[in-house]
This record gives sequence, structure tokens and C-alpha cells, in this order.
Amino acid sequence: MGIQTNEGQGRKDFSGIWGSFVSALDKIGFSPLGLALLILVAVAPWIPPFNQEHIVRWLIGGAFLAAQAIAFDFTAGYINVVNFGFAAIVGLGAYTSAILANTSPFLIVRIGLPPWIGIFVGALVSGLLGLLLGMLTLRLRGIYAAVMAWFVGIALLGLARNLTPLTRGPLGLHPPTLLSTTSNRPYFYIIFTMMVVTYIVLRMVTKSHIGLAFKALGQNFDAARASGINPTKYRVLNFALSCLFAGWLGGFYAHYYGSLTPKTIMHTSKTVEVLAIAYIGGRGSLWGGVVTAFPFVFFIEYLRSELTELPGLHLVIYGVLMILIMIFYPDGLAGLYRWAVRKLRRDRPS
Amino acid sequence: MERTLTGPSMRSAIWAKIGQNLVASIVIGGSVAAGIALAVLAGPAQLINSIVTGGMWALMSVGLALVFGVMNIPHFAHGESFMVGAYVAYFVFTPLHKYLKTNPNAFLSTMAPFIAILAATLVGFVLGVIIEKLIFYPLRRRTRAQWVMNTFLITVGISFIMTNGATLVLGPNFRGIPRYWDVDPIKFLGVRIAFDRIVAFAIAIVTIAAFWFFLHSTQTGRAIRAVAQDEDGAQMVGIDLNFIHSLTFGLATAMAALAGASLLFMFQAYPTVGLKPLYFAWYVVMLVGLGNIGGAIIGGFIVALLQTATQQFIGIAWEDVIPTIVMILVLLLAPSGIFGSEVKGVHEQ
Amino acid sequence: MFVEGFPVSGRRLKLRINEGGAKLLEVKDLNAGYDFLQVLWDVSLHVSEGEFVALIGPNGAGKTTTLRTIAGLLSPMSGEILFKGKPITHLPAHKVSRIGISYISESLNLFPKMTVRENLLLGAYAVRDRKRISESLDFVFDLFPRLAERSSQLAGTLSGGERKMLAIARGMMSNPELLLVDEPSLGLAPKLAQRVFDALQELRRRGVTILLVEQNVNITLEITDRAYVLEQGRIVLEGKSSELSQNEHVKHVYLGI
Repeated sequence: MGIQTNEGQGRKDFSGIWGSFVSALDKIGFSPLGLALLILVAVAPWIPPFNQEHIVRWLIGGAFLAAQAIAFDFTAGYINVVNFGFAAIVGLGAYTSAILANTSPFLIVRIGLPPWIGIFVGALVSGLLGLLLGMLTLRLRGIYAAVMAWFVGIALLGLARNLTPLTRGPLGLHPPTLLSTTSNRPYFYIIFTMMVVTYIVLRMVTKSHIGLAFKALGQNFDAARASGINPTKYRVLNFALSCLFAGWLGGFYAHYYGSLTPKTIMHTSKTVEVLAIAYIGGRGSLWGGVVTAFPFVFFIEYLRSELTELPGLHLVIYGVLMILIMIFYPDGLAGLYRWAVRKLRRDRPS
Repeated sequence: MERTLTGPSMRSAIWAKIGQNLVASIVIGGSVAAGIALAVLAGPAQLINSIVTGGMWALMSVGLALVFGVMNIPHFAHGESFMVGAYVAYFVFTPLHKYLKTNPNAFLSTMAPFIAILAATLVGFVLGVIIEKLIFYPLRRRTRAQWVMNTFLITVGISFIMTNGATLVLGPNFRGIPRYWDVDPIKFLGVRIAFDRIVAFAIAIVTIAAFWFFLHSTQTGRAIRAVAQDEDGAQMVGIDLNFIHSLTFGLATAMAALAGASLLFMFQAYPTVGLKPLYFAWYVVMLVGLGNIGGAIIGGFIVALLQTATQQFIGIAWEDVIPTIVMILVLLLAPSGIFGSEVKGVHEQ
Repeated sequence: MFVEGFPVSGRRLKLRINEGGAKLLEVKDLNAGYDFLQVLWDVSLHVSEGEFVALIGPNGAGKTTTLRTIAGLLSPMSGEILFKGKPITHLPAHKVSRIGISYISESLNLFPKMTVRENLLLGAYAVRDRKRISESLDFVFDLFPRLAERSSQLAGTLSGGERKMLAIARGMMSNPELLLVDEPSLGLAPKLAQRVFDALQELRRRGVTILLVEQNVNITLEITDRAYVLEQGRIVLEGKSSELSQNEHVKHVYLGI
């Protein structure tokens, strides 16, 4: 989908109508190829065999995972901090929105806030926690920051499990759905739009001078600080933005699936799924995870429907692929694409 | 190591030291208080309970600390070694037990659990060596850039493969045994303690002591410490890094498998059984400082006290939430742990 | 048996006359460096049995790179390294150490959280014979009595001079035939540096072959038999140390005369 022309890789020729179109696309972080793929995904729910309800559900799963991978990579690929509590932040957004929407007498909170507003409140709460997480991990590098985020995630999961008057604990919540329709197609366009918005906003940020500061901090924290980049400001900003979107996506999850338990959304293994997708796609690209997520979800859902007696096989495949990528191709799919583009440019006579 | 500190960094170094001492005294004081509170309010049973658990957490954490100290790998699949140990012990012990029911043999009945535990330990060692040779050795030869984070993510992948692989092959169901030995609980300080628990504790203590002796009094043990302290120096005196890395990973995996096997009666065997031991081992190593092996032994008991006190006074559901919050504070105020960690390469990005 | 008043254990009796001996170490057309940065260009040198040879040159000339490549810590790009006539070009560092070459690096690479004694015992890691280890211990404690006093102290707490001594002593524990010493006087007060040079001369008298890299050209040319001058990764001069100290270039650049 949003394959973006790489900054600083050769001159860009923006002349003519096609040129100004490409240039306009480039401003929001797309290349023509990326846009074409994106349109393909957008019309997929109308084209057989993708128009079947259960396949539209797969598309929704793919877009949800892809959008999460974008938000995750915004932290992991840019400031080089692995937010190992990512799933818990997604869960926080989901729970916030679900609790606010509650009208049933089982919970102590009975506000009945419409989900359409709730998911934005959830995003805000997650963003605030991201702000806090950014501050907590401020002095920590590498593995320490990852473990800190992980511990915060475990604590959140524990709270969701134990604060039963709010969350009903392991029994879970059944929040109202966003729409009254039983068709999946409208939901697909909602999550698809959310994914595109997430991508464009985060891409715009990384393309600005802020993104430069992120990369500088990610590559050499001390050198960046010495050259006048304020690590507090940028790290906190990065975490807050990434978590804001994570919480927003969580809200969609709650009001689409209509069921929420601490384990199904906040568990560390959920973080690992997002992380694997983002890494196989390629760190620091944002779009790599999106390109990976759709085929992956299809492949895995297919496996799951064909081999029902083999639960967890897809997770084994995640693990194997991730290890292979980490050892042999640490730049992931995005790295492969960059390499191919460079190769094509060099081979083309100028 | 001998870096001259200038103005602001000197000041932050002093603050870090103050933070570390403060956290150390709070944590140690707190755990002593928790111990006394447990003994007075809940009776010695809970105190003894936490000491037994502490031995096992120490055994798990020593392996974790070792792998980090020597190889700089933040091992996220350590709990899966525990899981493998539990399964192997179960599959060795159960048929033996069945056989003994029809053919009673007092000597074999006493020995059967030990055979199961030993088998689990050996399988753990071999598994560790295989993982090291298959995954970390090729990675090390390829690149050492971003080693700590990359290996962390790889161990996350290993953990994923192993838990889900176990579900695939063995199914999600629990496999357990009521107890290893048909012996009545033993009375101690007016408390009845299951014989299995006493043996498990003894195994932990003996293993840790033997391991400590191995590290400090044999050339191979010294070589392991040497690699942790200076890799170039170790090679310069003729130490084969590949051998030490495989040995280290094998030993750490074996210790976790040993823990899983000796606690089979308590935890049972199922694919995600390693999760809780993994969490607690991580609490311990972050508490005492990454890679600090001696500290991990004490830390195991501190965390177990904290855990038991939480179970007793707040509720069993909170047993991982409270330690997590304590650990967040520790990371915040004393990121290198209460006993400090000076492991090479940790601060790389 | 005594050599200049020092008791010597039996295994070190082979006193050799300088030069004329067989080539112990031979480096041929060595090219080496780090990733994309080549540091050494066609470096050739040799050290004969019993010889005390120096490698001098300005900072960044590639002296340390030469020693690290011989020691196996760095794999050369091309060229050949022979030890006792056998190629050791791509031998890993731990094997180089085991065949009788000890490398004492500039940063010493001691094990800071181990005692002096443990550091020394690790120096004899490849030696399995307990009796030989205890002989080696006696030998180095005799050479550096100071280390004997501090044997249970942690290496990280030693003074700069003591650390150098420990590094040399650790290198001697494996009873090597060739010692590669990198900048032993670095960071030491002149008096302590002299003490270290005395120790090297003493080892040499006891039959150890030494290849020394040193900034302090004055003393180096006084105590060594032969020397190579390495500039910008190339050997530009070689000869007897006594002759080199009379060379105009050496005098001008290194001796400041």
C-alpha cells in the first residue's frame, strides 16, 4: 500500500502533470505504486472472492493489524525503543471506550457514551498513558526501556483483570457495536480509513524536522542530545502520538468485535504479533508492516480454516519468520524494496 | 570503566548512586518487613512457603542473569525452558510411576522422581546448546550490531515457537502429578510441609551452591566469568568463545528445565506454564541488576517474599501486579538494579 | 641455575643468542583493516627466535592493527602469517594463544572483577597440567613480587603500573614462545615505565622472544635488537636498533634531535 518514495534517494523529477501528481502524493507519503495497492485493497470487498463476509472479516483483521504495526513502528523504527507494552495500550483505549459506553447494571460506570465519541476519549486516555510511558522510559535505553514498557503493560493487564467493578475481570465486557448493521463492509471502510489516517499523520510527522530528530535520537542518543535535540520533548511526543493511535484502534476493536477480555487484547503475545509484522515489514518504514499484514492475515486465516485441528500453527510461523528475518534480513521487506529501487535506478540509462 | 566525569554527568552519577542506595534500602527493608509481617500475622507456614518459592526463583534467575552477563542476551524464552523441563519430567515420571504400581520396588520409587528430574535437566542442556548453535551462533557471525535488542526479539520469537509448538504437538491440556514421593508431609516449626517441596528446595540450594563453586573454583567456570567481563581478554588467554557461549546457554536452559521438573507437582505441565516463572525471573534480574549472578540468588528470595506477602495481604490475583509496580519504581530510580550491573554492552542502543 | 641473579625454573634454560636463530614469526605482505578502512598495506616483518624486535611509528600508523592481526583478533584481508614456519593467517585468537603466542594489548583486557590470582590462572587456561601451572605462578610472582602481595585483590582495583604487570604476567602464564606487547609504557609515570621495560628485558634474558610496539622510541631502540618503522600502514624502515637510532629520519621524527 503506502509505499513511499525514499527521501534522499536520487533526484526526483516532478515536471508535467504526472510529475505534479507524484509530488502531491509524495507530500502525504505515498508513491504511485503504494496508492495503486491501496486502491486495490479499498475495492477488494466488492470483488469476488473477496466480497464474502468471512473474507471481509479477514480484511478487517488485516487492516487492524496493519494500522497497529504503523503505530508500533513509529516508535520502534524511529526512536528505536521497542514498546513491549503496546498491546496493553491498545487495550486501554478499548477498555476506556467500552466502559464509557456501558449501560448495563453490572458495572459501576453507567454513562452510555456513544462509541463514536468513546473511541476518541479512549485514544486520548491511551495518549496520556503514552505521555507517561515516554517519561518513565526517558532515562532508559534499549532493553531497559523495552522491559519498562513491558512491566507497565503487565501492570495494566493485571489492573484490567482485577478491577472487576469496572471491567468484570476475566469475564470480559460486551460493548455495543459502532453500527447496527450485521454487514462487515461498513466496518472495513471504517478501519481502512483509520489505517490510512494513521499512516498519513505519522508519515507527515516523520517527514518533518521532528522525524529527523526522532531518527537522530534513535541512531545515537548521546550525539543527538549533544547537538541540541531535546530527548525529553521528542521521546515523550513520539510515545504520546504512537499510543494515541494505538488507543484509537483499540476502540475500534472493542466496538467491532463487541467482546473484550484482558487476555484477548492486552496480552504480551498480542504485542509480539504486531512486532513480528512490523519487523518482517521492515523497521523505520511505516508502510512495511501494512504490506506484510494483509497477505499474512490471509495466509494465517486460510491455514486456520483448513487446519482446524492445528491451533497455534500461525503463531509458530510468525516466530520462525521473525527469527529468520532478524538473522538474515534485518531490514525486512522495506529493505528489500529499497534495494530493488536502487538497483532499478542504477540499471536505467540516464 | 575509568571514565572521568565532568560537571552535569558527575552530578547525575551521584544522583543515580543515591537513587540506587535509596531503592536498595527500601526494597531490602520492605522485604524484611514483609517477612516479619508474614511470620507474625500469617504464621510460619507462609514464610516457609516463600523461602521454598524463593529457591526456585533464584534458580530461574541465575540462568537468566548468566545468559545476559555472558552473552548479552535478554532471554525472553527462559520460561519455555521451564516448560520443557516440566513436560520431560512428566513423560519420564508417569510411565515409571505406572510401572511401579504393578511392580512395587521401594528403591526405584525413591529414585524415579530423580530420574525424571535428571532427564529433564539433560534435555534442557542439549536443547540450550542446539538453540545456541542454530540461532545465536549464526547471528553472532553475521553481525553484532544492535545485538541486545535483536537477540531479545529473537528470543521472543523462540518463545512464540515453543509455546505454540507445544500446543500444536501436545495440546493445551494440563498434565500434572499430585506428588513425586508418597511420603507424609513433614512437621517443621509446627507447620506441615509437603515432602516434595522440601526436596525441590534442597535441589535448588544444592544446584545453586554447586554452580557457584563451578563458576569460582574451576577453570571452565572462571572462563565463563572471563567472557562476561572481557571477551577480547578471554580470547587472548585461549578461551574459545563459541564453546563458552554454547556451554553457558546450555547450563542456563538446564537450570530452568531443572526448576520446571522439580516443581511439576506444583505447576503441572502445559504450554504456557513458563510465563509466570519468566515474569518472576525477570523481576529478579531487573531488581538486582541485569547480569548480576550473585545478586540474582538474593533477589529470588526478595521477590518471593514480596509475592507471598502480596498473596497473603492483598489477594492472589495481585501477585504479579504489585511486584510489577515495585519493579517499575526500581527501573525508574535505579535502572541498574539495587546491587548494580556493569555488564558490557548493555547501554548500546 | 641462575641468570643474572634470578632463579630460573628448569624449563626456561634455553638461552639463545640473538639473530641467526630460525624465524619464529614471519609476516608476509599483510593487508588488514576494519570493514571498509584498510589500515595495513603489504606489511612484511619477521622475528627470529630469541630476538627482541620493536615496531615503532606515529599514532594511527597501524601498529596495534598489526599486533591484533597476528594475535588473531582481526582477520587479515590478504597476506600470510607464519609461526614456526606454519601458516596461522586465519587462526582464531584463542588458538593463536594456545600455540604459544601471547598478546598483551594496550587496554590490557584484564578481568576486572576477578582477583589477581584468578586472572593469572586464566592466563594458563589452555594448560591442563597443574604442576606446570603452579610453576608458572611461581615464575611470575618471582618476576613481579608485587603481584604476589596483591594476589587476592580484584584486578579492577589495582594501580596502573600493577595492572600492566598483571597483564604481562598473565600473558606469561601460558609459557609462550612469542610475546606481543602493545604500548606497555602508555599512561605510566617514567619510573614505572622503566620498571616495565626492565621486566621485558628480564623476560628476554630468560629466552622469551618479544615483538614490542612502543611510542617511547628512545628507550625502545636502546633495549631492542632490531626495529621496524611503520608509517601510514607501510613499513618504511628496518634495521638494527643501534643503527636506526643513528638514522636521520628516525632522529628527526621520533627522537626529536
